Amino acid sequence: MNANIITDSLQANEYASDWSVRFRRVGYQRMLVMRSQVNLYYFWEKRWFFLAMAIGALLISIDGPPNLSHEGYIVLVMSVVATILFITEPIPLPTVALLIIVGQVLLLDLDSTTVAKTLMTDSVLFIMGSLMLAVAVVKQQLDKRIAWYIVQMTGTKTVSICFGITVVSGILASFVGEHTVAAMMLPVGITLITLTSDNPKRVRNLAAVLLFSICYGCSVAGIGTPSGGARNAIMVGYWKEFFYDPASPETHQYLMDYWKWMTYAYPLFLVQLPFVTLILFLTFKPEYKDLSRGVAKLRTQILMQGPLRPSAWLSIVFFMLILSGWITMSSEWGMGTVAVLGAAAFLIAGLVRWEEINSGVNWGVVLLYAAAISLGVEMKVTGAAEWIAESFLALLSPIGIDSGVGLWAAVSVLTTSVTNTMSNGAAVAVLGPIVLKVAVVAGENPIVVGFITAVSSAFAYLTVVGTPACTIVYSSGYLKTTDFLKVGWRMAIVSTALLLVVASTYWPLLEG
Amino acid sequence: MARRKPVNYRHQAEQEYEKLREQRRNRFRILACVDGTEESLMSVRFAAKIGWGKECDIIIAFVRPVDQGLRSGGLQVGIARQNMLDWGLDLPGVRYLKDSLEVLREEGQSPEDWAAKSAHQDTWGDPLGDNKVEYVHESGKTIVLKMKTAPDVASGILDQYELGPYNLMILGEPSRWRGEFKSVFDVGVVQKVSTLSPCSVLVARKSLNKTGFFLCTDGTERCEDAVRRAAVLARYMKQPITLFSVAKERQNKQRAEANIEHASNVLKEMKIRVNNTKIGIGDTVEQIIKHGSNHAVIVVNDSGKSRLKRAVSGSVAFSVMRNAKNSVLNVR
Repeated sequence: MNANIITDSLQANEYASDWSVRFRRVGYQRMLVMRSQVNLYYFWEKRWFFLAMAIGALLISIDGPPNLSHEGYIVLVMSVVATILFITEPIPLPTVALLIIVGQVLLLDLDSTTVAKTLMTDSVLFIMGSLMLAVAVVKQQLDKRIAWYIVQMTGTKTVSICFGITVVSGILASFVGEHTVAAMMLPVGITLITLTSDNPKRVRNLAAVLLFSICYGCSVAGIGTPSGGARNAIMVGYWKEFFYDPASPETHQYLMDYWKWMTYAYPLFLVQLPFVTLILFLTFKPEYKDLSRGVAKLRTQILMQGPLRPSAWLSIVFFMLILSGWITMSSEWGMGTVAVLGAAAFLIAGLVRWEEINSGVNWGVVLLYAAAISLGVEMKVTGAAEWIAESFLALLSPIGIDSGVGLWAAVSVLTTSVTNTMSNGAAVAVLGPIVLKVAVVAGENPIVVGFITAVSSAFAYLTVVGTPACTIVYSSGYLKTTDFLKVGWRMAIVSTALLLVVASTYWPLLEG
Repeated sequence: MARRKPVNYRHQAEQEYEKLREQRRNRFRILACVDGTEESLMSVRFAAKIGWGKECDIIIAFVRPVDQGLRSGGLQVGIARQNMLDWGLDLPGVRYLKDSLEVLREEGQSPEDWAAKSAHQDTWGDPLGDNKVEYVHESGKTIVLKMKTAPDVASGILDQYELGPYNLMILGEPSRWRGEFKSVFDVGVVQKVSTLSPCSVLVARKSLNKTGFFLCTDGTERCEDAVRRAAVLARYMKQPITLFSVAKERQNKQRAEANIEHASNVLKEMKIRVNNTKIGIGDTVEQIIKHGSNHAVIVVNDSGKSRLKRAVSGSVAFSVMRNAKNSVLNVR
């Protein structure tokens, strides 16, 4: 076969010689060039953005509901547009934050300095500080030690190792944030998988139980303390913004400090732990019941590392100090101040470089949360949140779930549905103002309803994008998106049931 | 003293780039895309089978979407990746490309002994960026393993086409392929690339245990062109050729026979032997899928319809690509 023939085989325009064909071909090519320069595809790619903007413009041009103020209606429309953009992501998400800021100034006629002030709260400072601490902690490379302590405690049985990973990942994640621990523990899981078998097909289910032990361990733990995830800090901020009045002593209960949060949420996290391993082993049957081969090789790697370095010890000491600062000083200084102080301590001691923090933290996310909280506060101020809350309760009342456990279940299901389509922080930022107003209108305790929302936002077990831990573990390439569906629905049902049991039996004791 | 004329570096770079593209146009370049699934490795197997000759280059690409910080709670996924590297673990893309290399070896192509060079390019502000290893045989044949970063997988694959023209793009079997209306809201990678690719696309399924190219024709000039080009490919792969045409109703059978006879004559002029001819009566898509099912590759011709026209009147090529159980080559 002539080499030129195969080269020409699938090329469109090499062999024709007839002048008319050539003429048409040139015309066609020119048309293609013109079409590529007009770049209509850009509009197709960004269709959700233009659609969201068109919906926004259309809604603003018509009159809003009679019992909602004009400003409230505009905030409502902005929230709808922001939610569409959060879910469909046609533009970089920090751009949504910028649009929210611009929208508040141009559409609500607010002073730009006033809007700028609402962007930086203690919650935002806390999110920023926690992310910087997360990078600092991951950089200390304590993961191999942690892995070795786990297998020393659990032995070599697969089920024991998975339970150990879930417990240790969970306890750590509850304090340092689920994303931090997922990033630290991911290599542990993959090492155990690859040291057991080189062929991924032979360890398909083993990979699933080990990696899900990490990400679900982190996800259920992310609710344990305010530093477990940005969503918790957002809810703490909303309670303060919505209900706290310095002049009114009875509203001091809405100043949620670190310890108070733990008394509500930590027991729920501990109760969920055994169910994680149980559900994983019922869903995936691992190919290997014993991981002695992988554990032996892991031990060799640890021995080669030598004893713990002084810098690692210093990091542990720093983190314990930050933790005690959160528990004892947060009501006075604010959790954000303690987090930022901790990050500064890591930088001053040279345990992490600013460049590492700068490249490890996505600052656009901090901006996004700041803008979302700012919009949430506007929802409260303009009455939009109250209007949605009343409408939501009007929908629930015919089926008799407009109060008590029924309402809690409805709020939990709503949050779980939303959080599975967008990041859990964004879900709490969007839903927080609404559910807190729902609680007020329905005569429920806003603390309880707020907790139900914050905790339910961790039930995003069904999708890769639901929780940070799921996204990080999925990046290993060992899991399929369908694996999340396969096990996620069981986790969501069990977690919701446990939440409702804890909310109706344990939380009333705390209120008393 | 006369001033020297300033050097136009941009012009120089453009000229060099155009020269490189011109060189590439003289080769048969195959882009096989992998995503770590068993189905996507089938695309590498097909690439090895088609691109066995020294005039063929094979580029195997894995596209990784740019990290989205919000999804990982504001902590960049790159931190987790760096941690994996510190543990001496392969990143997923590297692992998939190694698997692809193994498949190439199984198919009799072992580029490890060839001259190799690697390159890195920062892109999309991602520290991992684009990375490639290029193996060059003394005959000029090239095999490239490329790990690419892009906002999304489909745009990364299409962007790779822009970097160097390809004759053929091979993609693994899609996990989902939606109808024209549903695809407005949600479209899979394979469907999106197949729709927008400027070159021919082969959707590779597990059909290499079968033999033969199943060439469909409806007598149009476009189809004749596609038959001609696919027949060259079939002969290059030493595969038997079956010509096929569909008559919607029995009374149109003569026309289908005429189509086949015309295509046979075209191939005869090219000295390519037609091993078998078939005629189906009924729905075009159903008949193609039914009669083509026992062949390695069904070849259809892209009608060049716009999305709107496809939504209204449908597209035979896309329906066959979507519903067939064996591999389908859409010739452009």
